[in-house]
Amino acid sequence: MTAPLLETRNLTIQFGGLVALNDVSLSLNHSEVLCIIGPNGAGKSTLFNLISGIYQPTRGSVHLEGRDITGQQAHRIAERGIARTFQSSRLFNDLTLLDNVLIGMHTQTRAGVLDALLRPRKAKAELDQAAERAGDLLHDISPELYARRHSLAGALPQADRRRLEIARALASEPKIIMLDEPSSGMDDRDTDALMADVRRVMAERPGLSFLIIEHDMRLVAALPDRVAVIDYGRKIADGDFAEVRLMPRVQEAYLGQKAAAHA
Amino acid sequence: MAQSDFATGTPSARAGSAVRLLTVTATELGGAALLGIFLLSDETWVIVLLLAVMGAMFAALQLRPQTEDSIVSAFAEARRPALLLGGAIVLLFPFFMQGSSYALHLLIVAQLYAVLALALNFQLGSANIPNFATGASYGIGAYTSALLAVTFGVSFWLTLPVAAVVATLFGFLLGFPSMRTKESYLALVTIAFGIVVHQLLNNFSWTGGPNGLVGIPAPVLFGHSFASPIEVLGFRLPSQANFYYLSAALVALSIVSAKRLHNSRVGLAWNALRADPLAARCQGINIVWYKMLAFGVDAFLAAFAGTVYAFYVSYISPDNFTFLVSVTIMTMVIVGGMDNTLGVIIGAFLLTMLPEKLRIFADYRLLFVSVVVILFLLLRPQGLFPQRIRSYGDGQ
Repeated sequence: MTAPLLETRNLTIQFGGLVALNDVSLSLNHSEVLCIIGPNGAGKSTLFNLISGIYQPTRGSVHLEGRDITGQQAHRIAERGIARTFQSSRLFNDLTLLDNVLIGMHTQTRAGVLDALLRPRKAKAELDQAAERAGDLLHDISPELYARRHSLAGALPQADRRRLEIARALASEPKIIMLDEPSSGMDDRDTDALMADVRRVMAERPGLSFLIIEHDMRLVAALPDRVAVIDYGRKIADGDFAEVRLMPRVQEAYLGQKAAAHA
Repeated sequence: MAQSDFATGTPSARAGSAVRLLTVTATELGGAALLGIFLLSDETWVIVLLLAVMGAMFAALQLRPQTEDSIVSAFAEARRPALLLGGAIVLLFPFFMQGSSYALHLLIVAQLYAVLALALNFQLGSANIPNFATGASYGIGAYTSALLAVTFGVSFWLTLPVAAVVATLFGFLLGFPSMRTKESYLALVTIAFGIVVHQLLNNFSWTGGPNGLVGIPAPVLFGHSFASPIEVLGFRLPSQANFYYLSAALVALSIVSAKRLHNSRVGLAWNALRADPLAARCQGINIVWYKMLAFGVDAFLAAFAGTVYAFYVSYISPDNFTFLVSVTIMTMVIVGGMDNTLGVIIGAFLLTMLPEKLRIFADYRLLFVSVVVILFLLLRPQGLFPQRIRSYGDGQ
């Protein structure tokens, strides 16, 4: 067995006196879907921020394909093939949907200032080609989004913002895509439609690995191969959802001690 | 595309392209006529009337956005005729100025400010970097070329690229702190940089101190000195016309650069940086590098403007490149419209010429600029002409 695609070893981060994430070791294999669950404030998003290079860990390391990427800048990590979405979707609101996806292709295109100024034909050809691919990708995710590709991202409803963010993340042709609570702030119907799209993306891209933070237990049961539970910054369980769900520590973390005793 | 319409088009397509050509011609000639009357009249009431006309036209465009869209698409469709006519207007404009060197002077200054505003637009408009040091880059360009010309006798045409490279290096230097600082702190760093440059120019002996540099020789092109008038076909244009054409060429260069960068991967990365720096980083954009690039491009163009200015007035002093100049340039971008090339140019022309034409504004220049900025930021933060949506391939 080769090294896992992504591995965190004893990942720890401290903000002043607060230990937000404590000694978390996780691994994600090729083409695997791993779901991170845990109560609010448990440190799930912090884990994503550490992996994507927005925070620097106090201790521990992150490895991608066996290579240590700890402490690298966020744009370097994106270049290496880890794309992500944000819990409160962070789109480029004053740009069109197509431009949003095109910016997601930043690592796939090359033209710099000198190309743009002195070799405009070459730069334009590259961008036009990328725009065509961006359009196709948008169409793949949702034909409705494609139809609105020239309107501004700021005008989209919540579910479509999530879809666009996923399209933008896919545009970089990543090895791993991290979705930070895709269902947050949406009703059941929108969530189901979105998750159907996510499942379709998974089916269409068998080589891609997913790391998903999710709150909604219904989705967790339906989606992943494996779940990891984080509580108070520590990983308290890791394994099959059906098994993990029954562990007393997990029930405590989710339902509170008393309720868990009755469950 | 417009040409093929003429050759093979159906009658309706031909009528459509005729309408487009008419729209383009009317817009360009109308704009030129407005500018011409504005420059030549001395009566306050004429100026006020012209401003009212412009205001009414602008309001009409706001009420009927379709009109604006149809004008824009006419220009896009009939691109070649529009460029040819525009070029001809710029070329012939000085001949209609009745030999007034003052009108030409205003045009030169307005065009140089247009270049500066376009330079700053790469930062403020595209990437939302509040750079208060464009005036300093302008000064560095002017002093570099003036020193080269006065002390070493280097020709104008050679100092132009050298000054641009020197100012760009300083621009990158100024970009360094942007690794560590952002937003208002970055603005403070640029203000400090501008003041430091001004103080250094004032205090070094080799820059001439507060007296500045005198006797910068006029450029010579193919044996024609820019200090002498232009005579063609019996027409005689004052010597300012030389610099008018030079600065017009510089504006054209800036417009081409602005368009090319805006419609490129770099322009997109700057826009991403403007909208959400954190999300931009997660798309693989090295935001420090792109911020420094914006500083470099800004300084490069500003230095071109500085060089032309130095050789035009033949005398420069530190007071030409104060903090107030940077603020004025920033106002032009805010008024004209962030990330809209035409808007920024119109902003530069308005803010250069209004205080000159209306004495009441000239006496309270700083007050005027401040009130304009506050009003625009409150009422119309996107500027007169907001940014337009990009298109790719065949307009798809």
